[in-house]
Amino acid sequence: MSTYNYVVTAHKPTNVTHSCVGNFTGPQELNLIIAKCTRIEIHLLTPQGLQPMLDVPIYGRIATLELFRPHGETQDLLFIATERYKFCVLQWDADANEVITRAMGDVSDRIGRPTDNGQIGIIDPDCRLIGLHLYDGLFKVIPFDNKGQLKEAFNIRLEELQVLDIKFLYGCPKPTIVVLYQDNKDARHVKTYEVSLKDKDFVEGPWSQNNLDNGADLLIPVPPPFCGVLIIGEETIVYCSASAFKAIPIRPSITRAYGRVDADGSRYLLGDHSGLLHLLVIAHEKEKVTGLKIELLGETSIASTISYLDNAFVYVGSSYGDSQLVKLNLQPDAKGSYVEVLERYVNLGPIVDFCVVDLERQGQGQVVTCSGAYKDGSLRIVRNGIGINEQASVELQGIKGMWSLRSATDDLYDTFLVVSFISETRILAMNLEDELEETEIEGFCSQVQTLFCHDAVHNQLVQVTSSSVRLVSSTSRELRHEWHAPADYSINVATANATQVLLATRGGHLVYLEIGDGILVEKKHAQLKYDISCLDINPIGENPNFSNLAAVGMWTDISVRIFSLPDLNLITEEQLGGEIIPRSVLLCAFEGIPYLLCALGDGHLLNFLLNTTTGELTNRKKVSLGTQPITLRTFSSKNTTHVFAASDRPTVIYSSNKKLLYSNVNLKEVSHMCPFNSAAFPDSLAIAKEGELTIGTIDDIQKLHIRSIPLGEHARRICHQEQSRTFAICSLKYNQSSTEDSEMHFIRLLDDQTFEFMSTYSLDQFEYGCSILNCSFSDDSNAYYCVGTAYVMPEENEPTKGRILVFMVEEGKLQLVAEKETKGAVYSLNAFNGKLLAAINQKIQLYKWMLRDDGTRELQSECGHHGHILALYVQTRGDFIVVGDLMKSISLLIYKHEEGAIEERARDYNANWMSAVEILDDDIYLGAENNFNLFTVRKNSEGATDEERGRLEVVGEYHLGEFVNRFRHGSLVMRLPDSDVGQIPTIIFGTVNGVIGVIASLPQDQYIFMEKLQTNLRKVIKGVGGLSHEQWRSFYSEKKTVDSRNFLDGDLIESFLDLGRNRMEEISKTMNVSVEELMKRVEELTRLH
Amino acid sequence: MDAPKTPLKNPKGASKLLANLPSKGLFSSAVVSSNLGGMRVYVTDHDTSPPENQLIKTDQVNILIRSLLLKQQQKVESSGKGAKEGSRKRASERAVDGRTSTKRAASISQPQPEGPKSRIPDDLQRCTVERIKFLLKERGLSQRGKKANSWQDELIARLRAAADGASSAT
Repeated sequence: MSTYNYVVTAHKPTNVTHSCVGNFTGPQELNLIIAKCTRIEIHLLTPQGLQPMLDVPIYGRIATLELFRPHGETQDLLFIATERYKFCVLQWDADANEVITRAMGDVSDRIGRPTDNGQIGIIDPDCRLIGLHLYDGLFKVIPFDNKGQLKEAFNIRLEELQVLDIKFLYGCPKPTIVVLYQDNKDARHVKTYEVSLKDKDFVEGPWSQNNLDNGADLLIPVPPPFCGVLIIGEETIVYCSASAFKAIPIRPSITRAYGRVDADGSRYLLGDHSGLLHLLVIAHEKEKVTGLKIELLGETSIASTISYLDNAFVYVGSSYGDSQLVKLNLQPDAKGSYVEVLERYVNLGPIVDFCVVDLERQGQGQVVTCSGAYKDGSLRIVRNGIGINEQASVELQGIKGMWSLRSATDDLYDTFLVVSFISETRILAMNLEDELEETEIEGFCSQVQTLFCHDAVHNQLVQVTSSSVRLVSSTSRELRHEWHAPADYSINVATANATQVLLATRGGHLVYLEIGDGILVEKKHAQLKYDISCLDINPIGENPNFSNLAAVGMWTDISVRIFSLPDLNLITEEQLGGEIIPRSVLLCAFEGIPYLLCALGDGHLLNFLLNTTTGELTNRKKVSLGTQPITLRTFSSKNTTHVFAASDRPTVIYSSNKKLLYSNVNLKEVSHMCPFNSAAFPDSLAIAKEGELTIGTIDDIQKLHIRSIPLGEHARRICHQEQSRTFAICSLKYNQSSTEDSEMHFIRLLDDQTFEFMSTYSLDQFEYGCSILNCSFSDDSNAYYCVGTAYVMPEENEPTKGRILVFMVEEGKLQLVAEKETKGAVYSLNAFNGKLLAAINQKIQLYKWMLRDDGTRELQSECGHHGHILALYVQTRGDFIVVGDLMKSISLLIYKHEEGAIEERARDYNANWMSAVEILDDDIYLGAENNFNLFTVRKNSEGATDEERGRLEVVGEYHLGEFVNRFRHGSLVMRLPDSDVGQIPTIIFGTVNGVIGVIASLPQDQYIFMEKLQTNLRKVIKGVGGLSHEQWRSFYSEKKTVDSRNFLDGDLIESFLDLGRNRMEEISKTMNVSVEELMKRVEELTRLH
Repeated sequence: MDAPKTPLKNPKGASKLLANLPSKGLFSSAVVSSNLGGMRVYVTDHDTSPPENQLIKTDQVNILIRSLLLKQQQKVESSGKGAKEGSRKRASERAVDGRTSTKRAASISQPQPEGPKSRIPDDLQRCTVERIKFLLKERGLSQRGKKANSWQDELIARLRAAADGASSAT
């Protein structure tokens, strides 16, 4: 049973809705604050650029975000209002590095009709009051007292019902708002009101302006000395004040965002619906406005918010494409653009559709999303793990080890790549043509296997073979000194750094050498009880060339020991337990925290916190990375050190938020890896795979890897076909070049590796692609793409005509093999018992795939089912059909084979407006609706009466705070069969804000445990701004608000791992479970995404 | 897609307008770095409830009632300044009638000086219950009563008694 669900975010929201600039974290620090729907990002502006500081989750969907400064404050406060009528005022406490709550409250009213045009939250420039427009006909005022404290809020009646925008005017003796509204004849006007705090009422304001541009939608208040307001229309821009009225015609466009450039408000940046950036200038003589000027600067992503940062740098936040950091250049480039895009910040939103595929056939799902809208539409390939981009590769069999060496100690780049085989050692080097070719280092012994190599001080190289340690000059490449192992004591394992060599011989002897200028000195020798399996002396202390500690892994007693250097005294011994010997140990520091990593022969990895002074090992953790022995190596990328664990499931180990994270690498089996930072391939890795040596660069180290395929048009549906290795998408392209906007709709075929368009089928005029499916039919082994369309005629409320098109991929082209006209829009297509199930307007219709006499095929209607408002989303399982209706929640239908009929079995009688449905198992169905909630319903087969059986019982409710467009079964991570989480079924969802999330159905006992943990975490982890987690997650619609049930907030539960030790202990005490056990169980869940 | 779709009419025009963009010395480095460290995910484990008195609620009094009460209060204030005679108050008391049009409530902008309490009309029987209740409330008397028919009488009696008491006191 999938009653108990765990909801967690795999990819955070990236849709930027608001941004502002001000001194939030300090009087001298300038910050950019970005709102991404349910999160706030705080950045610091520095001479070098934008420095990320903090990512703050907010328990609410942010409706308004404003920075302001009350009298007497030295830094700005942040005002946030959420869509569920909560607000808070936040302040940065620089001493504690915390966000503190200055004020918060609930601004909802019991009666009132929520505004259609979104919530408005504004702050008087002189900080006398906060104004909120949340309900039609009401303006809420939260006054400030003279100490900057907030007082009780009150409502004022606002006569204008269709308000488009409200702003405060600058420089008014009494707080004055300017209201842009539409009257009942659809004409637009502007009016001003003074807010009288004493009378708690409006007083007629100083001026008004009637009959503005019909598309006027945005007000920009202009600061002193002008103190007027700019009214932005679709065809004109007007500057208005008590004394002035200046207008300028513009090219027809809808302005979506503005950013003020100068403090005096003489210049503004305007971003329109097609992504064009304009500069609006208020021409003035002294303090008198003489006119307006507007100039096109260039193109950006379609902006939802624009913030001028400093020194001609501008942040453009976008909901429909990537957000950007742009620079305004004084001189235009070759294309006449003044805008230079310096950086793009990935935004997956809006995710309209996606599919889960395994393109590399590694057993790991990837998500391919239809992201973005209008010109910024794209496909995004989202994969858990890190990608290696192959630069070069050669065939080489039987590699036993690899090391890179420099030709001089202070060289920046590596020159040599030493590759060791079972009975020889080869040396590769970059030649002048930047090709890898074989070379020789005369002083090296190349007839035997190399156990270890390293650069050493004084321009020397060290090579360890089974019989000796050779010290070679890296300039003359000649042997300078050699240390021979005693006869009968061949060297088994060895390690070295720039000044030290540690080796182990047969019989448990440990020998420590130090490297001098042309000399190797044996400093110490120790005899251990058992043979040694692995060694490491990677320096993690202050001296990058010398280590005070050595880690030693042992055969027989399965332990790892820490010795001090140079005296080789045993400080710590840690029994690993079990029967698997350690195969690789590594001392390393992540984010300044020293760790000991110890990899076992069965693919498990242990990690310990290491105390570098006492050698003490604490905080032991074990994870399973693969099934084969692991070899650990460090490498750097972007000046940060990470660890590569080579095995059958190669993994990169890195640290984020002082937590170790493990990320899969998109390679199959890696036996050895070494960093190879050559001039031709900087920051590269040399990777030994089966029979192959590859040089490649590594992606940014992050959990999810996203590849963008810009389309320049808006993809709305996607599906994958395994047989032809292609994707098919429904897309639309907007043409704004001509005087009239037009849209063209296409079905496009893409290669699943290169993502190039292979073939295109243009749909008719007014014909939209609504659904797409890859399927095959009974008695026909071919794979087909089926496309459902609708003719959207401007004069019709609902489409009355559509088509089902059946395509086959032949020689990389889409071939139309059948088409069937329908009596409405084909909202959904499903493969169903070898037939095709279509949802057409209010009807569910089943089609057979029939062979005609002439050998061609056609779709033939078999049976159908009426009884929906609009059947938008359909999922099937066996003979069951689950329908998500436009406004009648979920219903369950069954197909009866004998009768050849579809009948309704049960339905949920709540009035939910659905946005997605999915079947979790035979009895439980999952739905998402348009108030950002999730819910599950259960089929009641055991009900006593027909009435009971005909009712889908609501079993789970949860406020997700995200608009879900699609659910799909699948997983973003590799499922190892031996792990516990491998058994947990998961569903992936994609949302308008660009969130990719996972819903995991937990077993009951685990759910109960985690629910208890969640309850305890709520007491410890407080909502920023005093917002309550419990309220935030409660199911919320216009009709009801009920506590969430049978859903857990994985984001809250997983933040347990970010808590300090004493907080963890606090929770451990109340739960009566050890901290280690809690961490283990939470970490298990983090591996679901 | 990179080029603006409409050619710039005056290619040099924007250059002039883009001159002297504000700068505080930030983003001044020749190369603006794209990698200035990671973002810390904020976990709040301190108390985030707002300071005392800063848990803001909305005044739940109906806007109309509130404006009446405010007016009342102003009347008290202005009467405190000397205007004690009751003879001038008749005109203003009608404005305080319970059924003032909504439009009027919204446009009340120049409050007139008013006395502390509405005078009790002589024909109380012809007043609406609401009006009586308002008068009772003004005087801090209970607005409760039993049964529909006798209710009004009861309230009137209470009001009268209070009025008599007040007059006998003076």
